[in-house]
Amino acid sequence: MAAISYRKLVCKDLHSYLRSLPPSVLDKLYHHPATCLAVYRDLPELARHYVMRILFVEQAVAQAVVKQWSITSSEEQLEAAVALMELRVWYEQPLPGGMPGWLLNPIFRKNLSTSLLGGGSPWIGNKNLTPDKYAKDIPFLDKYALERWECVLHFMVGSNEGSDGVNKDITDILLHSKLMRVDDGEPSITAEGFQFLLMDTSSQVWFFLLQYLDTVQTRGMDLVECLSFLFQLSFSTLGKDYSAEDMNENQLRFLQHLREFGLVYQRKRKSHRYYPTRLAINIVSGVSKATAATAKLDTHRPGFIMVETNYRIYAYTDSPLQVALLALFCEMLYRFPNLAVANLTRASVRAAMSRGITAEQILHFLVSHAHPEMMKNTPILPATISDQIKLWELERDRIRFTDGVMYNQFLSQADFELLRNYAKDIDVLVWEMPEKRVIIVTKTGHDDVKKFWKRQRAS
Amino acid sequence: MAGSKRDKKDKEDKKSKKAKYEPEVIEEDEADDASDAKELPASATREVAEAAPEDEFGAQDYRKTLELKGDHTSRPLWVAPNGHIFLESFSPVYRHAHDFLIAISEPVCRPINIHEYKLTAYSLYAAVSVGLQTNDIIEYLRRLSKTSLPSGIVDFIKLCTLSYGKVKLVLKHNRYFVESQYPDVLQKLLKDPYIQQARKRELDEGAGNDTLIAGELSNKSALQLNKPSNTAADQQAGTSAAAESADNGEVKEDVPDDIFELYDKIDKEDDDDEEAQLKTVSFEVNQDSIEVLQKRCIELEHPLLAEYDFRNDTVNPDVNLDLKPSTVLRPYQEKSLRKMFGNGRARSGVIVLPCGAGKTLVGVTAACTVRKRCICLATSGVAVEQWRSQFKMWSTVDDSLICRFTSDAKDKPMGCAICISTYSMLAHSTKRSWEAERMMEWLQNQEWGLMVLDEVQTIPAKMFRRVLTTVNAHCKLGLTATLVREDDKIADLNFLIGPKLYEANWMELQNLGYIARVQCAEVWCPMTPEFYSEYLVMKSQRKLLLSTMNPNKFRACQFLIRYHERRNDKVIVFSDNVFALKHYAVKLNKPYLYGPTSQGERLQILQNFQHNPKVNTIFVSKVADTSFDLPEANVLIQISAHGGSRRQEAQRLGRILRAKKGSAAEEYNAYFYSLVSQDTNEMAFSLKRQRFLVNQGYSYKVITKLDGMEKEDLYYRSREEQMTLLHKVLAASDEDAEEERLMGEMPGKFLSNRRVGNMQSLSGADDAIYMEYSKNKKRTDHVHPLFKKFKKM
Repeated sequence: MAAISYRKLVCKDLHSYLRSLPPSVLDKLYHHPATCLAVYRDLPELARHYVMRILFVEQAVAQAVVKQWSITSSEEQLEAAVALMELRVWYEQPLPGGMPGWLLNPIFRKNLSTSLLGGGSPWIGNKNLTPDKYAKDIPFLDKYALERWECVLHFMVGSNEGSDGVNKDITDILLHSKLMRVDDGEPSITAEGFQFLLMDTSSQVWFFLLQYLDTVQTRGMDLVECLSFLFQLSFSTLGKDYSAEDMNENQLRFLQHLREFGLVYQRKRKSHRYYPTRLAINIVSGVSKATAATAKLDTHRPGFIMVETNYRIYAYTDSPLQVALLALFCEMLYRFPNLAVANLTRASVRAAMSRGITAEQILHFLVSHAHPEMMKNTPILPATISDQIKLWELERDRIRFTDGVMYNQFLSQADFELLRNYAKDIDVLVWEMPEKRVIIVTKTGHDDVKKFWKRQRAS
Repeated sequence: MAGSKRDKKDKEDKKSKKAKYEPEVIEEDEADDASDAKELPASATREVAEAAPEDEFGAQDYRKTLELKGDHTSRPLWVAPNGHIFLESFSPVYRHAHDFLIAISEPVCRPINIHEYKLTAYSLYAAVSVGLQTNDIIEYLRRLSKTSLPSGIVDFIKLCTLSYGKVKLVLKHNRYFVESQYPDVLQKLLKDPYIQQARKRELDEGAGNDTLIAGELSNKSALQLNKPSNTAADQQAGTSAAAESADNGEVKEDVPDDIFELYDKIDKEDDDDEEAQLKTVSFEVNQDSIEVLQKRCIELEHPLLAEYDFRNDTVNPDVNLDLKPSTVLRPYQEKSLRKMFGNGRARSGVIVLPCGAGKTLVGVTAACTVRKRCICLATSGVAVEQWRSQFKMWSTVDDSLICRFTSDAKDKPMGCAICISTYSMLAHSTKRSWEAERMMEWLQNQEWGLMVLDEVQTIPAKMFRRVLTTVNAHCKLGLTATLVREDDKIADLNFLIGPKLYEANWMELQNLGYIARVQCAEVWCPMTPEFYSEYLVMKSQRKLLLSTMNPNKFRACQFLIRYHERRNDKVIVFSDNVFALKHYAVKLNKPYLYGPTSQGERLQILQNFQHNPKVNTIFVSKVADTSFDLPEANVLIQISAHGGSRRQEAQRLGRILRAKKGSAAEEYNAYFYSLVSQDTNEMAFSLKRQRFLVNQGYSYKVITKLDGMEKEDLYYRSREEQMTLLHKVLAASDEDAEEERLMGEMPGKFLSNRRVGNMQSLSGADDAIYMEYSKNKKRTDHVHPLFKKFKKM
C-alpha cells in the first residue's frame, strides 16, 4: 500500500514553461512582438527595469555598471539576471576590454520596441471587420467559455451531463497529461485528475494548454506559431471580434482546438470571425500573477459553499459538476433543486486522501468557493474544521515503513541470540521478538547477516 | 419518461405505507409493568418515510420532486420529503421562521448559518397542544419554503395533527370533564361504548341524552410574573414591538408579504394578552373510569391532553406562595412558562433549557403560579438541598412549608405545601423504615397540584411510571437540559408527562450572555509505548483503565490544573473510574468525592470549593454529573467518561455553564477539556459524545500538544515512574477497572452492593455505542462513483 505514491500535480508558471523550451524555439518566439511583450510583463520588476534601460543600447553593457543601477540586495539582482538569462532575453558577452557584459537579445530588442512603439506588421486578426450581425456581449462569452470548459471537466468526472461535446483532441490531451487513463477501452480519471479538478479554473486552463502544447508537434503543427498566437490572444480585447481570414491552415486548426476548449468563440466552424473569451485573455496573466487575480473567472459566479462547525457542508448550487467535486471528499446527504447537503466525515476525507488529494487542496477548494456569508468570518472556515482535516491527513503519516528481511524458525535460543547480537553489532537490526524468535534486519544488512549465518552453520 | 414512472412508483409506495399507518396496533412497551395506565398511540411511532431516488453519489435526490419557487432567495427554508427542514439563519425572516419551527419540529442541529430541524409525530403533537391549527401549520410552512411542499409532508402533518389536541381532560371543581372546541369530535367519541360507560350523567337528564355542556374558555394567560413594574414591562414590550415593526418595514421589500401576514396571525394567537372567549363543549366523566377513558381515547387516536384549571379548583387549598418582588425572570424563562400557562390553565409538558440557564427558577415560578400543593423530584440529595435553597431564594415561602424527604433528611410533613424528594426515594420498592413508610402514605393520600420533575431525561421509564402512579398530581412539569437519550426512550416522556413545551437555543443564550461562553477542547494524549503494548493485549475493561491511567494524560491533567489555578480559576476534574479518580486526586493532593462519600462530607467539600481560596480544584466522579450547582467553577477537565453518552457530555458541560461575572472582555470565560488517549477506544467515544454539543453549535478544538508542558515539572516524567504506575494499574483488581456503578443515593447501600442498582443500564446509556455503529458502517461502504472507476496503479 505504501508503495503507491502519488505524483503531486505541478502546475508550471509561464516563466518555468518558457525556460524549459530550447533556445532556438525561444529565439523564434521572439520574432513576434506580442510574445516579447508577454514575456516582458512576466519578468521580475528589477529585470524589467534592466530591459528598459538597455532597450536602445545596441551593444553589450558592463555587468558592473548594471549592478550599480539599483541598491537592492545582490540576491535580488542575481535573480533578475538569471531570469533574463534563462529566457534568453539577454546573454553574456565580454566587452572589448575583456570585462563581462550583458547584451540584449537583438530579436527580442527589435520586437519589444515594436510592440511598445508601434509599427511592424499587423497582428493576426487585427483587421477592420464589418459589424457582426450576430455580435456577442461579454456575459454571453463568459457563459459560453464556462460551459465549454465545464464540458471538459464533466467528461473527466464521467458525469453524463453535457459531456457529449468532448471530441478526440481533448481526450488525447487528457490521456497524454495522465489526468485520465484508458481502462477497458474507456478513459477514466487518475489521481492527478482529482487534483486537477480541485484547482481553480485559470490554473486548470493553463495546465491543460501546457499539456496541449506538448502534443502540438506530434500533430504536425508548429509550436512557435501556436504560442505566439496564444500570446496575441491574451492581448486582445474581451467582447471584440477578430478576423480569421488571413490565418494559415495550421493556425486555423489551432483556432478550432481553442474553440473546443472554450478559449475562443466562433459561431460556425467556417465563420471568419472569432471572439476571444476570458479564459484566453487571462491565460498568461492568470497563472503568473498573484493568486488574487486567478479567481477572475470564478468571481462572476459567487461562492456557494457553506461549512458549519458540525462538519456539515451546504452547497448552493445546481451544477452537477460542483456537486461531483464536493462528493470527492464529502458524504452527500440530500440534493434539493438549488442546494446540496453533505457531511465531512473522517471516512470520506480519508477516501479522498487515499486518492492523492491533499488536505491543502480540499481546504483551498472550500475557501475559494466559500459562500458570501462565510466570507464575513475570519477565518473563513471554522478553525475546528480546517484543523481536523489537517489532522486527518497527519493521521495517515503516523506509520513509517522500513524495508527488511525476516529471519525466523530458529532451532534454538542460542542461535537466535547469536544472530540477533550480530545484527545488533553491525547495526542492521530493525526489530526483534525473543518469545517467537523472530528478527528483522534491514535490506542492506541482509547479505552480511546471511553470510555470517552460513559461516556459523559451516563451522 | 423514466422519471415519471419512478414518481408513480413512489406514490404507490407512499400509499401502501399510509395503509400501514391505519391499523390500531398499540405499542406495548414493557409488558411487565402491570400498573401501566398510559400507552402510546400508534401514531407516536410514525415517521415520515418517503423513498426518494438516490443520485449517483448516494444522496437523497429531491430535485425532481420539488419545484423551486421564483422568489426563493427571500424565503428561508427547504423542506425535505423525509421531514428534515433546513433553515437559513441569515435570512431576514429568520426570527419568525425560527419561532415557528421550534413550535412544530425538533431541532436537530443549530450551528451558525444553517439550522436543521425535523418534523416528528411528537413535535407536531406538541405543536397542536399549544394551540396551532393544522391548516396554519401547512400554510405557513408552504409560504416559508423555497420550494414546493412535498405532498408526503402535507399528508404527514394532517395525519399527525388532525386528531391530536382536539380533546382535553380538564379537572374543574374537582370533577373531570372531557372538553373540546369541536362538538363533532366529542360526538364521535361518545359513540364508542367504553366512553359512553365512562360518561357520568346527571340524574335529571334522560338516558341517551346527548346534550353537551357548553362552556367558554378564556384565553387569558394565567401567568402572572413579577415585573419590575407593569408599566415598565409594557413599555419594554411596546418598544420591542415597535422595533420589531420597524424591523419588518425595513426588510419587507425583499420578503414576500404573505410570510408576514400569516406570521402576524399566528403570533396573535400566541399572544396571551388578548382576551378571547372560545366556545367549548364538554361532558363529565366518572373519576374511577379515567384510566379506561384515557386508554380508549389513545386507541381512537384522540389522545387526551391533560390540563389543570387550578384557578377554579376549590377543593385543594391555595398555598401562600409568591415570587419575591425582586425576582425577575429572563425573557426565555418567561416565554417557556407562557407556553405552559397559555390558556389560563396549566398544561403538562417538558421545558428544555441548557444547564445553568435557570431551570430551577422556572420550576419555582410555576409553583408560585399554580399556588397549590407542589411536589418536586430531583436526582440526588444534594440537588434536593439546592431546590430548597432556591425556593427560599426566589419565593416568599416559609421554611415550615417546605418538607424534604431524603434518606438523610426527613422533615415533618404536617402542614407543609412543598415537598422535595428524590426519584429513588419514591420509587423505592423494598422495605422502608417506619418513618419513611408513614411519609409515603401521606404522599399518596395527597392530591398534588403540581409535580416538578427535575432532570427528567435521566429517569428510566419504569421508575418513572412507579413515581407517577404513587403520587397524584394534576399537572406535571418536566425540566431538562438535554432531551436526548441513547435508547430513544425520550418518546415515552412525551406521553408520560406531556409534549415538549419549549426548547431554548444554546448559542443564542450564550450570545446574549445568559450562559457562559465555553471553549471546548479535546486534548490528545499519546499513549506511552509500555501502556499501549499492554493495552493491546488486555480485556476491554482493563483497556479503559489503561487509557485513563496513561501517564501522558496524567501529565496533561496536572499541567492544565496548574495552568488554570495560576489564573485563579476553579477547576473540576471528572472521572468515571474510581480507581483513576482516587489515584489522580491523591497524587495531586486534591479533595475528591464519589458515590460512597457521605452527604455531610460532600457538602463540606463543595462549600470549601466555593468559598475557600486554598481549594481550587476538586475531583469528582459521575455523582456530580447532574444537579451539582457550582457557580464558581469555570474549568472542567474530563479524564474518563462513560462510553459515548452524549447526555453525560452535555450535563458535564452544564456544570460550568452558569454565566460568569465580569469577564465580558474575554472571548471565552469557561473551559471544557476532554482528555483523550490517542489510538484507544476513547477517541471513538469522544467523537460520539461530542455530537450533541456540536449540533448545538459548539465546536471542539483539537489540541495535540500543550504549549509549555515541557517546561513544567510534572509527575511521571521518567520511564521508571511510568513503569511503577503501569505495575500499579496492572495490579488493580477487576472491580477497580470498572466504572463507578451506583449513584450512591440509595439509603444504606454503600460499598457492599455496588453493582446492584446499575444506573447506566437503567438510564439506557449502556448499549449506546452499538446502535450507532451499524449505521455508520453502512455509510462507509458507499463509494464515490468517480472512485469506482479509479483503480489503483
